[in-house]
Amino acid sequence: MRQVVFLAWQSLRFHRLQSAILIFGLAVTLYLPLAVNGLVARYQASLLQRAGATPLVAGGLGSRFDLVLHALYFRGHVPRLLKMADVQALRDTGYAEPIPLYVRFTARHAPLVGTTLDYFAFRQLPLARGEPLLQLGDCVLGAEVAATLNLGPGDRLLTDPENVFDLAGSYPVSLRVMGVLAPGHTPDDRAVFVDLKTTWLIEGLAHGHSDVTGTNTDANVVLDRTATNVTANAALVEFTEVTAENLASFHFHGDPGDFPVSAILPIPRDEKSATLLRGRYQVPDATVQILVPRGVVEELLGLVFRIKRFFDANAALVGTATAAFLLLVVLLSLRLRRPELETLFRLGCARGLTTRLVAVELTGLALVSAVVALTAAQITWALVSLW
Amino acid sequence: MMIEVEKLVFRYPHSTFTLRVPELSVAEGEKVALAGPSGSGKTTLLHLLAGILLPDEGRIVVGGVQPPRLGDGARRAFRIGQLGLVFQDFQLLEYLDVFENILLPYRIHPALTLTAAVRERARQLARETGIDHRLSHRPGRLSQGEKQRTALCRALLPQPLCLLADEPTGSLDPAAKTRVLEILFEQCTRARATLLMVTHDTGLLGRFDRAIHLAEVSR
Amino acid sequence: MVKLPLIARLGLASFLSLVFTACRPPAAASSSTVPARRPVVCTTSYPLFYFAQRLAGDRATVRFPAPANEDPAFWRPSRDIVRQYQRADLILLNGADFEKWVNTTSLPLAPQVDTAAGFKQDWLMFPEVITHSHGPHGAHSHGAIDFNTWLDPLLALRQADAVADALRRLLPGAGAELEQRRQQLRRDLLALDQELRGLSTRLASQPLLASHPVYGYLAHRYGWNLASVHWEPDEPVTDAQWVAFDALRARHSGTLMLWEEQPLPAVGAGLRARHVLPVVFWTCGNRPVHGDYLQAMEQNLDTLRAALASAAAANPAFRGGPEGTEKTGK
Repeated sequence: MRQVVFLAWQSLRFHRLQSAILIFGLAVTLYLPLAVNGLVARYQASLLQRAGATPLVAGGLGSRFDLVLHALYFRGHVPRLLKMADVQALRDTGYAEPIPLYVRFTARHAPLVGTTLDYFAFRQLPLARGEPLLQLGDCVLGAEVAATLNLGPGDRLLTDPENVFDLAGSYPVSLRVMGVLAPGHTPDDRAVFVDLKTTWLIEGLAHGHSDVTGTNTDANVVLDRTATNVTANAALVEFTEVTAENLASFHFHGDPGDFPVSAILPIPRDEKSATLLRGRYQVPDATVQILVPRGVVEELLGLVFRIKRFFDANAALVGTATAAFLLLVVLLSLRLRRPELETLFRLGCARGLTTRLVAVELTGLALVSAVVALTAAQITWALVSLW
Repeated sequence: MMIEVEKLVFRYPHSTFTLRVPELSVAEGEKVALAGPSGSGKTTLLHLLAGILLPDEGRIVVGGVQPPRLGDGARRAFRIGQLGLVFQDFQLLEYLDVFENILLPYRIHPALTLTAAVRERARQLARETGIDHRLSHRPGRLSQGEKQRTALCRALLPQPLCLLADEPTGSLDPAAKTRVLEILFEQCTRARATLLMVTHDTGLLGRFDRAIHLAEVSR
Repeated sequence: MVKLPLIARLGLASFLSLVFTACRPPAAASSSTVPARRPVVCTTSYPLFYFAQRLAGDRATVRFPAPANEDPAFWRPSRDIVRQYQRADLILLNGADFEKWVNTTSLPLAPQVDTAAGFKQDWLMFPEVITHSHGPHGAHSHGAIDFNTWLDPLLALRQADAVADALRRLLPGAGAELEQRRQQLRRDLLALDQELRGLSTRLASQPLLASHPVYGYLAHRYGWNLASVHWEPDEPVTDAQWVAFDALRARHSGTLMLWEEQPLPAVGAGLRARHVLPVVFWTCGNRPVHGDYLQAMEQNLDTLRAALASAAAANPAFRGGPEGTEKTGK
C-alpha cells in the first residue's frame, strides 16, 4: 500500500495544476453547504442557547416574536409597554422574581438596556474591568461596545437623541462608564447597561435641577409662586450629567408604579411556580402575556428554516451537477491515462494495482478537498462570529 | 531451452488475423532477432510469450513455466520477476524521474521487494548505461536514447531470465540505435539473460546469434 | 526483556489500576460539614434593624450602616456602603419615601422588601410642604409622604410582620423559631399600643404642640389634637417665628410641645415664658443613645406622663382624663 501511495502522490504532484483544479472544485462543492449549514447551526444554537437560558419572558399583549426578540436580543420594539406596577404585581404572586427591562434608547447606536443589578447575576455577567452600577447616570458596557467605542471605566458616554429635530423631547444624558463586561458572545456584548431609573431619567420622568422652592431661587426661572407650590418655567436648566454634587437634586415626577417597562424576565422559583405563574396570566382580560422563550424561538427558527429547505435543495442540485462534472473529468482523465495503466499491466503489476492507484489518487484529492473545505468553513465561522 | 512454442494459434476477437506458430524455440542465453513484415504478429507473439495475451491453442513454455496455464496473478508475478519487457515507445511514467522509473517494477508487485541493495543495483545499471547523470530528471527532459536506456534498466533490474524487446531501437536515430543495441547486448551477456528482440531493421540481424522470420514460421 | 502475552498485560493493568484506586487519599470533607455563610440583612432605618435583630437572632447578620449622628431619612450612603447594600441577601426598606437615596442608587430588586407597602392606604402626608411644578401643565411634585410609620405601634407591627415574612423566605429552616420570636415581638408592640391608648385618654382632646410635623401617625392613631411648626432643636427661634408661634397658640393653646431633641436653652426659656413645656419625644429614626426601640418608646411615654403630671400641677386649666380608659382612636 505504501508503494501505491507513493505512486499516487508522485502522479498528483506532477499534475499539480489538474490536481489543484480538482481540489478546488471538490472543495467548493463541499465548502458551500458545509459553511452555510455550519453557520446556520451555530446561529441556531446561539439563539436557542440564549432562549433556553431564559425561563420566561413577560410583556404587553401583541406579537410574541417581537417581545422575545426585544427581551432576549434587544432588537426592535415591543407591541405594548408595561408599567412598574405590573412588575410589582408579578412579584406579589410569589412565583417569580421579576427582572424589569426598558430598552428604548441607544447610546452611540448601541441598545441602552435599563434594568436592575439582578440582571447581571441572572445572566452571570462578570466584569472584565471596573465596577458594577452604583447610582443614577452610571453605565456598564458590553465587551464589544467598549472595544468599538474605545471606552473604559471613568469615561463618559452620551446617549443618542431619539429625534434630533424634537428639541422638546428626551435630551441626551452624559453617562459615566463604571465598568466593562467580559466577553460572553451573547447580545449582552453589544449593549450598554444602565439602571432602570436612568432610562426614566433619559425619558424625562426624572430630572435634576436647582431648588426652586427656596427663598433664594432666581426669579427668572419662576413662572408662578403660591403658598404651597412654585411653578418653574422653561428657563430652569436641567442637569444633563449626574455628578456627586448634583445627585441629591435628581427626583422623579409621577407615580413610580406608572413608569414604563418594555419587558420583564420572570425568574420562577421552580418549575411548578413557572407553570402556576403562566396559568395566572392566561385569563381573558390579562394585559400581560408570559411566554417560554425557547418555544417562541424554535417556532421562529422553524419558519425561517422552512425557507432554508429551498436553499438546501438548490445546494443539493448544484452539488449533484458539480459531482457529475467532476466524475466526467475523472473519467476523461482515466481515458487519458490508459497508456500509463496499460504499461503497468504489461510490466506485470499486481492485480488491482491500477484500480488501487486511481482510488488512492481520488481519495487523496477528496481528503485534501475535505480538509480545505473544512478549514475554509472554520475560518468562515470564526470570521462571522467575530463580525 | 528458455523459450519453447508448439502449435501456437492465436486469433484476435473481431479480427480475421490469425497467428500460427507450429514450432519455435530459443536456447538459454541466446540472442535471437524476431523479424517479419508488418502485421505478421511479432508483437503479438511477444505478448503471448509474456503472458499478456493467452493463446487459443498450443503450448508455450518460458523458463520452464507455461504462462498460459498460470492464473492471472501468478502470470503477472512471473512476468515481472522473470521477464524483462522493453517497448518501442519506451512506456516510461512521465511523473516519475529516471531513478523511480527504473525502480518501478519493485513498486508495482509485492513479489519484488525494494531494498537498499536494489537501489544500489539500479544506480549501477544507470552508470553502466550512461544515464546516471539523469537520475533526478523526468522523461520529458530526456533524449530518445536516454529514455530507451532507462526502459532497458527497468527491464534488467529484476535480473530476468529472458528479455523480450519489441523494436527497442525503432524510434532512435542511428547513433542512439547503435548505442542502445550495444548496451542491450552487453547487459544481456552480463546478466546471462536470453534476448528475443523484434526488429524491422535487417541490418541488425547479423549481430544476433540467429534470426527467426515469423512469416516463415507462421503458416 | 520478556514480552507478556496481551491478556496478561491487560490483567496486570487492571490489577494495578485497582491498587492505585484503593490507595487514593480520602476525599476532602464534604461541603455539608462546612458551615454555610450567615445571610446578611441590611436595613435603612433603626426600627427595622431592631425588628430584624429580634426576629432573626443569630441566624442572620443584621446591619444598619447609617452613622449614629446622621438622620437616616436624609442620609446619603458612601460608595462602600452602597456596595454593602448591593451584596446583602435582604434589604429592608421602610418605604413611604423614607430612604430617598434609594431613588438614585442602583440596588438589586430581588432582595428588597418595602415594609410599608402593605398599608399604603394608611400613609399620611406632611402638611404645608411646598411642592414645585414645571410649566402650567407640566410635571409636578406631590406633597411629601410622612415616613415616620414606626411611631404607630400597629403600623410598626405590620412592618415587623413584613420583616418576619422576608426572613422566613430567607431562612426556610427557621420557621418555628421565627414564629415564636414574631409572637413575642407582637406582644411587645401591642402592649406599647395599649400604653399609648391609655396615655392618650389622659391627653383627652388637649391641644398639643410639636416642633416638627413628625408625630402625625401617633396623632392620627390616638386622636391627639396636635399642631406643628418647623423648628430645629439646634437652631434658635427667630422673632418672626415667635410671632407665628403666638398666633398659632391663639387658636391652639397647647401647653406641651413635643421635641425630637432638647431645644436650645434660649428656646426652652422662651417656651416656658409662654407656659409651654418642651417634652423630648424621640422619634427613634436612628439608634438610641441607650437601650433599644421599645425601651426608647417606653422612655418617651414616661417622659410624656411626667410632663402631663407637671402640666396639670402647674396649670389648673390643664385637664386630662385618667389613664387607662379606652380612647377612641384609629
